[in-house]
Amino acid sequence: AMAGAGRALRTARPLHRRGLGGAAGPPSTRQLREAEEAAPVFQYAGKAAKRKDRVFVWGFSYSGALGIPSFVKPDAGWKKPRRIQSTPYRLETEEKISSAACGYGFTLLASNTTDVTKVWGTGLNKDSQLGFQRSRRDKTKGYEYVLEPSPIPLPLEKPQQTQVLQVSCGRAHSLVLTDSEGVFTMGNNSYGQCGRKVIEDEIYSESHLIHQLKEFDSRVVQVVCGQDHSLFRTKKGSVYACGWGADGQTGLGHYNITSVPTKLHGDIAGVNVIQVSSYGDCCLAVSDEGDVFGWGNSEYLQLASVTETTQVNVPRHLPFKIGKIKEAACGGTGNAVLTEEGNIFVWGYGILGKGPNLIETAVPEMIPPSLFGWSDFNSDICVAHIRCGLSQFAALTNKGELFVWGKNLRGCLGTGRMEDQYFPWRVTVPGEVVDVACGVDHMVSLVKSF
Amino acid sequence: LNAAPRRAPRQQIRFLPTPAASGGGALELVPTMVPVLAEHPLVQGPRFRRLKIGAGHRLDVKASGVFVLGVGHGNKLLTDLYNCHLTKVYTVGGMFGKATDDFSDTGKLIEKTTFDHITREKLERILAVIQGTNHKALLMYSNIDMQTQEAYELAVKGLIRPMDKSPPIITAIRCLQFALPEFQLEIHCLHETQQYLRKTVHEIGLELKSSAVCTQVRRTRDGVFTLDDALPRTQWDLQSIRDAIRNCRLKVETEIEKTLG
Repeated sequence: AMAGAGRALRTARPLHRRGLGGAAGPPSTRQLREAEEAAPVFQYAGKAAKRKDRVFVWGFSYSGALGIPSFVKPDAGWKKPRRIQSTPYRLETEEKISSAACGYGFTLLASNTTDVTKVWGTGLNKDSQLGFQRSRRDKTKGYEYVLEPSPIPLPLEKPQQTQVLQVSCGRAHSLVLTDSEGVFTMGNNSYGQCGRKVIEDEIYSESHLIHQLKEFDSRVVQVVCGQDHSLFRTKKGSVYACGWGADGQTGLGHYNITSVPTKLHGDIAGVNVIQVSSYGDCCLAVSDEGDVFGWGNSEYLQLASVTETTQVNVPRHLPFKIGKIKEAACGGTGNAVLTEEGNIFVWGYGILGKGPNLIETAVPEMIPPSLFGWSDFNSDICVAHIRCGLSQFAALTNKGELFVWGKNLRGCLGTGRMEDQYFPWRVTVPGEVVDVACGVDHMVSLVKSF
Repeated sequence: LNAAPRRAPRQQIRFLPTPAASGGGALELVPTMVPVLAEHPLVQGPRFRRLKIGAGHRLDVKASGVFVLGVGHGNKLLTDLYNCHLTKVYTVGGMFGKATDDFSDTGKLIEKTTFDHITREKLERILAVIQGTNHKALLMYSNIDMQTQEAYELAVKGLIRPMDKSPPIITAIRCLQFALPEFQLEIHCLHETQQYLRKTVHEIGLELKSSAVCTQVRRTRDGVFTLDDALPRTQWDLQSIRDAIRNCRLKVETEIEKTLG
């Protein structure tokens, strides 16, 4: 009994616990799951997370056209000025920009706000194409180069009700289209491109004069600037023109300058025009039935399908059998149209986008859709818009991608390389590209963030 | 394999001394065909003692799918196939809401996020951007001079691709299924590793202001070899292997000739 009691005592004594917690092995599945469920959940996208609108610019910066002053005058002593911005760079703006236009060394940005300031301009201002920009150093003089988007004061009757619909820029003049107060023009008027009488020996720099145009047959819905002429398209489908006409780009039947906007006739008389385009000395118009009409300079075979002459001063119908045309874009030497199916056809002279072997053609040639990302895998990709610079083309697809091709003058294509691009090449923009404006050596794009 | 009937041994003509037919005990030399003793099965032993098996493009432990192996002479074809730089197709499954250290769902949890705001449209937009930047990389790493007509023609046909070493490039990506929080993508890629695909899933999650982990990586095509040619585990026997090799031989030869000339 003594031995049995002793044994019971030995086993009854509890094991000495060290109190260091549980086993040190790998956590079991249940422990992992519990740890996961207990972890905090982070929220990165707020309830009202909206896609923001942004503006990206690229190209030659010394003219100030990009609107970023640190490229021209660096803010720190050791930084060097950046002559060319070869990839898209964000331009911070206070308001949402709804329309942008690039001229020859200057840019106009417009917003459809009802605030007093609706239009900003940046770049060359030697002919007051950006209005009068009062210099801060000397209050009597104006700036010749504007390095940052600066507000342009428009003489509006109802500044807090009128909205700016669209802006357009030519070589040394600009047009601003409003919804209820007609068209405002400013800049060089030596050929009457601003729609007012040519004054001999007028000094255009530091001029306060902004002219207003209201006499059209109906409301103006689109304004387009050529190099030294202006085109106005009205709601009724008619086209008015004024300015330099030596190549017939005013389309009025003569080769003189016109200083008052005059209606065009010829093959577009009675036709409902839905879009007009011009950048150099040639012009294209698209009707609601899908036909395209052209007039102006034809030295580069732009209108060679209808005539052998190098200047056409009356709008002529271009009989292309490529399908119904939705949009046209006219560059300096080459033209492009977009058909209803989403295909691009190019003709003219220069780098047209079909490799280095195609330099000129009078008949439109289609650019294969596979270059825009179309394949059996993604068969719903097609081009939605086409735009032209002086010797570049830009195409926007329905997926929001931007393709450019043409002469890469001072890095204006935005590809990051300095060589010319002979076939459509994607530009990497952090967002969905909604619109693009092409100039001679720079481009501006309006982008929605993801 | 060793039990299969082998080639008949070579025969040779030897002059053997045999007793003369006429009799008499004198030995004559008579030409007879006798098998070469050196090729006798008992001298040679089993025909295959070891098999040289080479592996094609790598496949992770956590991934599954088509895995190409070369046997014997096929090893040389493997190097040729590698130099063809053909695309591979993967089916990648992912799940939103988690972020782990090795981008797969078995790793250590780092962060959890909300994902209710994600829609199929947003995902497809991100996929379009990925495809765009990779398409640019494809053209840049292919080392063709962009200023030539030849480059234009290849670009039209979609045949431009890097023919030597390059970082991983995705040639096509699309969403097969989308059911929050899970989604499935089909990815066509070059020079990639499965961990790169998992990292891509993670980056897609980040881009959509959430996070994602990869739940499944399955290779459905490796160059010319598809799932139909692949042998499942139940068919890993001699007969099926021989049939598979025979079926693929023509495909491999035509592809190598087409690409490498």
